[in-house]
Amino acid sequence: MVVEKSRIRQFFKSLSNQKTLMLMSLPFLVWVIVFKYLPLWGWLIAFQRYRLGKGLFDQTWVGLENFRMLFQDHHFYRVLRNTLVMSSLNLVLGFVTAITLALLLNELRRVYFKRTVQTISYLPHFVSWVVAANIVQETLAPEGIINNLLLKLNIIERPILWLGVGEYFWGILAVAEVWKNVGWNTIIYLAAITTIDPTQYEAAQIDGASRFRRMWHITLPGIRPVIVLLLIMNLGHILESGFEPQYLLGNSMNIEYSENLDIFVLKYGIQLNNYGLATAAGIFKTVVSFIFIISANHIAKRLGQSRLY
Amino acid sequence: MYNSFCIPFYTESAYNTLFSMERGQKMRRRHWLRIGLIAMLTASLIFAGCSRGAKENGAGTGNGTGTTGTASGDDKSPVTFTYFAFGSNIDKLASETRIGQILKEQTGVDWKMEFVVGDPAIKAGVMISGGEYPDVISPVSEYAKLVDAGAFIPLNDLIEQHGPNIMRVYGPYLDKMKHEDGNIYILPFTANVGGYISDPNPVTNFWIQRRVLKEFGYPKIKTLDQYFELIEKFHEKYPVIDGKETIGFGIYAGDAAQYYTITNPPMHLAGYPNDGNVLVDLETHEAKLYQGTELEKRWLKALHDLYNKGLLDPESFTANGDQFMAKITSGRMLGFAAYIWQIGDAINNLKTAGNDDLQYVSLPIVFDEDITDAYVDPPSFVNNRGLGISVSAKDPVRIIKYWDNLLKEENQKLTTWGEPGVTYEVDENGRFYMTEEQLRKRNDNDFRREYGFAYFEYEWPRYGNNSVYEDGNAHWPFYQPEVARVNYTEGDKELLKAWGVETFADLYATPVERPWYPAWSIEKPQGSPEAMFSQQANDLMMLYYPKMVLAPEGQFEAVWEEYMREFGKLNAAGYEEFMTRKVRDRVAGKW
Repeated sequence: MVVEKSRIRQFFKSLSNQKTLMLMSLPFLVWVIVFKYLPLWGWLIAFQRYRLGKGLFDQTWVGLENFRMLFQDHHFYRVLRNTLVMSSLNLVLGFVTAITLALLLNELRRVYFKRTVQTISYLPHFVSWVVAANIVQETLAPEGIINNLLLKLNIIERPILWLGVGEYFWGILAVAEVWKNVGWNTIIYLAAITTIDPTQYEAAQIDGASRFRRMWHITLPGIRPVIVLLLIMNLGHILESGFEPQYLLGNSMNIEYSENLDIFVLKYGIQLNNYGLATAAGIFKTVVSFIFIISANHIAKRLGQSRLY
Repeated sequence: MYNSFCIPFYTESAYNTLFSMERGQKMRRRHWLRIGLIAMLTASLIFAGCSRGAKENGAGTGNGTGTTGTASGDDKSPVTFTYFAFGSNIDKLASETRIGQILKEQTGVDWKMEFVVGDPAIKAGVMISGGEYPDVISPVSEYAKLVDAGAFIPLNDLIEQHGPNIMRVYGPYLDKMKHEDGNIYILPFTANVGGYISDPNPVTNFWIQRRVLKEFGYPKIKTLDQYFELIEKFHEKYPVIDGKETIGFGIYAGDAAQYYTITNPPMHLAGYPNDGNVLVDLETHEAKLYQGTELEKRWLKALHDLYNKGLLDPESFTANGDQFMAKITSGRMLGFAAYIWQIGDAINNLKTAGNDDLQYVSLPIVFDEDITDAYVDPPSFVNNRGLGISVSAKDPVRIIKYWDNLLKEENQKLTTWGEPGVTYEVDENGRFYMTEEQLRKRNDNDFRREYGFAYFEYEWPRYGNNSVYEDGNAHWPFYQPEVARVNYTEGDKELLKAWGVETFADLYATPVERPWYPAWSIEKPQGSPEAMFSQQANDLMMLYYPKMVLAPEGQFEAVWEEYMREFGKLNAAGYEEFMTRKVRDRVAGKW
């Protein structure tokens, strides 16, 4: 009883100590509840033949029909494959390039040059995909810069229709994503690097560690917790490979490779007013994300790394 | 020197097809991408040579009196209603336009006009979920959804009690306007009144560069083979133009939303009008898909052969709208397939540039000599595009009275011709005509918005485009022969002379009556197997067309067979049965 009481007192004590932090996180808590938990009851739509304009309980219930439709469509598996491949590519390349760039930027001594590189590299992030896709299309056009360059260097004889070859699509998308997001993604790593105690570098320098060694043995381990944490969180988005770039760069020649889950849902769910199917796909995505996050976290725990919870 | 081609962009048939989601499989529901394209197109139209008149004309709208007719209603206290349209335009207050101002003086009613931005399907969904609607809505492609959700009030009694003019205009069409439940929810835009006048300058989706025709002495071309042959001959003679390779033939099919550009031609080439994805037999009224038929095969094989001769631009499947239009204006492309509303500003730019050689002319091309073309739309009534009053409307009676007043003949003249002496002239015989200057302004997008033509000539209860006034003048100014004549450039005249015709319409066959037309406006129930079929069939075309067309020589058949196997898995028979039933219902008067 006494123990219990002191615990409660302890709780309120730390609560009042951290009230600023609590206040700061309050809006986000509200946000999560309103936008992530409250809409969950809409999952009921997945089990209905939903028609707009009628109440949720006046709809026809169809059991698991929407899920059956989803999993029986042979189209669905192609789309799922594309989604997984594209998001894995994004994940891997996104991490590797962002960390590499952060490490390199950190080694730069001239602030002016560093700032310039940083600004240039994260400018594309602020360009909307509609514009970015146009830039990509122009670059890859038969008379675009890439083809011109390759022709001049005699590497190819005839211009290649880059967006017309399905097999190239994943690669093109991965490169475009890197170009667009690498600068932005480095910010968090650069922030993490600043938390590393500079005395470690000094000590290493005195011990004769080269720059590369310092990077490898101090910087990288220093930001490892951040990397692992981000990796776990991003694995939760494994079924979200983006929507706009695939939608904008996709055409009939690369559709076998460009169509992903989101486009599938748009076409067969929202455009055909098949909201049940769209919701079923959403639930499927959530379940997969859940499995990925939990297992990634579990593995991190096993390996003794930092983790989400 | 103005743009005749601004016109078709705004004509009804173009508009309808543009916004038909019925073409479900051919024309997917529009997305913001398309809206963006249209915005760009419109913007470019403004810059593309329509622009000179705008500034000079601003002053012209300030004078004139607004006393054309009196409102039938008793209440003329000022009121502002809300108007929402799923068409594309720029938001405006009606009274900020000359036409809106005149109508306001007559009735006291003003409108806050808003237009959809972004995906219409999503916007409609949001409206329905919220349950709050603007007073009046032009649902365009969202008709079925909004009616299903009970967004509109029935107009049957209202128009009978308060709409003598509405009854005059729509009376003959009332049966076609009734929804399945017997109620009328919208007043369509295509009710033709008093006689029938057709477009003196129809266009098709097959275009050829004028210098190609000139080079070979303006031959008359009727079949697809002749068309491709001529292109081939010219290409052989001039393989390089301005240091760049000549492109034989291109199709605007790089944008998923524009894919119908490549899937529709078999229908046109076989001598059928745009009935969506089916061909309807004139006698039996049976609706048959042309996907998976010899007609489709013949079209694709022709493209395949063209590609293997190096004449078809493979970029047809990847180029976006800007890239495609750049090709058109570059002068390197000898022929192409695209609809006027997709490429209007490229055509305009060429016209403004003034080099007749580089301009294009469209031709009524068919598969064989003995096929009668059907590029000119038959008299038709599109019953799923119109303006309706929503359940949230505060004063439906007042709105009906406003519409009734709008449908008076003198006000209809106001919405398309404007004011005599200002935007058009009347000769001693009472015929309406326009001076070159007036016509240029009529085509100028800035002026059209400022004066209100851009708002009131469409997406309101109105006379159909083919209507004729009691005094014999055409309702749609561009169908008036006096206006059409002013519209021709020197190059146009030369072409007409060489072919020995008065207007371009003389090159086309007279449309045959098709009481069901257009079949694309048959609404498929939401979430139905038919809607699903359309989507799946379209996906299949997306996947296989490039494979067939770009197949190496000799491999066409193999891919075609694979395509047919996949197509066989879809329930085409069920879809055809549904369409046949609906077409026959229409023929029997049940719309």
